Amino acid sequence: MLTLDLLINGLIIGVFYALMAIGLSLIFGILKVVNFAHGEFYMVGAYAYTLSALALGISPWVSLPFALLVGLLLGLVVERLLMRPLYSGYTSWGVMRDEYAVIVTFALSIFLINIVDKVVGPYAYKGPALIGISRITIGPLAISGHRLIAAMVAVTVIIVVAFIIRYSFWGRQIQAVSQNRLGASLAGIDTAKASAIVFSLAGGLAAVSGALLANIFNPTPDVGVFPAIKSYVIVVLGGMGSVPGSIIASLILGVFESFGGVYISYQYRDTFGLFILILFLLFRPQGLFGEKAREV
Amino acid sequence: MPSRRFGLPTFVAGLFAFSASAFAADPIKVGVTIAQSPPGSVSQGTQVKDGLEVAAKIINDAGGVNGSKIELIYEDTQGIPEKARAAVEKLITRDQVVAVTGEHQSSAALAGIEVAHRYHVPYINTNGWSDVIREKGYPEVFNPGNYNSRVAIAVAETMKSLGAKNVVAFCENTDYGVGLAKLIGAQIAERAQGISYKYETLDRASKDYLPAILPLKANPPDMVVEIMLPPGAYILLNQLNEQGVAPTAKTMIYDASGIADYPDFWQNVGDAAKNMLVFGLYHPKMPLPDLGKKVAADYTAKTKGDPNRLLFQAADSLFLIAEAIKTAKSTKADDMIKALEGIKWTGTRGEVSFSSEKSGFKYHQWLDVPYVTFQVTAVKQPVADMKLVQDPGKPLDMSRVEKTK
Repeated sequence: MLTLDLLINGLIIGVFYALMAIGLSLIFGILKVVNFAHGEFYMVGAYAYTLSALALGISPWVSLPFALLVGLLLGLVVERLLMRPLYSGYTSWGVMRDEYAVIVTFALSIFLINIVDKVVGPYAYKGPALIGISRITIGPLAISGHRLIAAMVAVTVIIVVAFIIRYSFWGRQIQAVSQNRLGASLAGIDTAKASAIVFSLAGGLAAVSGALLANIFNPTPDVGVFPAIKSYVIVVLGGMGSVPGSIIASLILGVFESFGGVYISYQYRDTFGLFILILFLLFRPQGLFGEKAREV
Repeated sequence: MPSRRFGLPTFVAGLFAFSASAFAADPIKVGVTIAQSPPGSVSQGTQVKDGLEVAAKIINDAGGVNGSKIELIYEDTQGIPEKARAAVEKLITRDQVVAVTGEHQSSAALAGIEVAHRYHVPYINTNGWSDVIREKGYPEVFNPGNYNSRVAIAVAETMKSLGAKNVVAFCENTDYGVGLAKLIGAQIAERAQGISYKYETLDRASKDYLPAILPLKANPPDMVVEIMLPPGAYILLNQLNEQGVAPTAKTMIYDASGIADYPDFWQNVGDAAKNMLVFGLYHPKMPLPDLGKKVAADYTAKTKGDPNRLLFQAADSLFLIAEAIKTAKSTKADDMIKALEGIKWTGTRGEVSFSSEKSGFKYHQWLDVPYVTFQVTAVKQPVADMKLVQDPGKPLDMSRVEKTK
């Protein structure tokens, strides 16, 4: 029975990891940079969900899309104000793109953590539950009602996003830009708009992840730091830029941490992912579904 | 008759001279190291800051210390030892403080006392519970706050009184958490033989504790001891409840960190804290000296909040510095240290004096820090309504303990 408990818990946690990691993977796929403020998009979503429900007394089912909206807008604003120089005129600043992205997103991360700490305060806030059942018992299994519903919402969101990326008009344009930015531009695709959509989508996904976990992980200003670290690991394991890879890697990591925490060592549970990361970087740096780099 | 050319400037200069002479004494600078940003416990840091400011106002409104006002200089440690080290270094070398206080996290305190010792500056440890802080034996360090050995003894005796046979502790991966978990084990082995005890270390940064909790479902313990600070502590309590491990008719929870009086406790923990026993350094039904009542009243007037133990610990820390300076009539380190070593002073919680026994945790420790045990008996219950099940200095009264049905 413990095995089943651990498997269910691992898969549920993996789903939340996936929701967070997909956005990061999309950003890397299209901009070829890592967003070090991704954890703070998660944090902002968690607070948007929690505070709107607590302060305004609205249903959590209304707060959830509100958190999504806040994440989408935050992503859009960040892309427009901070990330545009990466592909329009940055070379005239004499700053290399990778260093620019690292500096700007790190600074944004520190800024967001501290502004929330000062404006909202340092105290933790438990987000409202999506469902009023504290525990659902299925045979010998006991799962938090909110955790189960939140996982189902997360799966739904992932499926919708995957569908949009694969089949929609803008999804195909995003794929084109991620394959070859110059080529897509020559084909008439507005690459800046595609980048804005991706960044906004990533912000929205991270915000929804934070919102869904707000009842479980009680938001504080630094609540996004840990999930962000997990996301970086997952994106590399799955293959940078690969959405299916991120999903599979998330589930694998969630289950591995769940079992490893019991059967290997709970104290080193969070190092398992880092250990696997090192192995992949040494022996399969392209990850599960990534492509080896080619230069033409 | 003075010419107009010089009259007005002279008059203005005289005004400045007069004002300067009215505040001729330089303020006494006291350095404060607290967490004001993550990953440190900002809620603790804020409570400590409130307590120090209430105390500083009381001191300054009464004319200061030997004619000089107290000035608090804050540094944010983020709860990180390296930053605490840098903060104390800056306070001593650049701000020229006469003493350092306020620290509320053991890991940061352990780093800060090294600097204070190197520069021979008095360090009043407000809330670092780790016994190692005392065991270092630094003459500059004084501890008017609680210490892990005191909690460990309290926990062992409570487990014995409750008749618990199987106890599991969850501790955070810090000097405080792991240190206390080990001490509890040692005290249970000494005072409550026959109790099976083990502890699990949880990463306070990680949020998913289910892999550590799930194995308990098959064989739930009689008592789960929580040795964590918020927000990790809140998440642990919620996840224990979510899985049906505790609180149940079989398994109670014991809060060894005294978090039930934190301002954000109820907004994070619903019925997960039902019938939780709490190691409390403050309860409104505890008798308080007059100074304690004044501090409590001033705090409530300022913040509209209920007093908590960190308020009194912080206030006592600053009052002790002031008393030392007053007694020694000096801000020199050796004079202040000598004054503190001989002090017998009634603070906000009782009469404070420091042990001179150099072995172990007792050095420069106020050994008789008062504590109680109380029980949460309803959701969103104010601390004043939480049931006292152990009065200060008395054993646990089992007839008052309520069990979960």
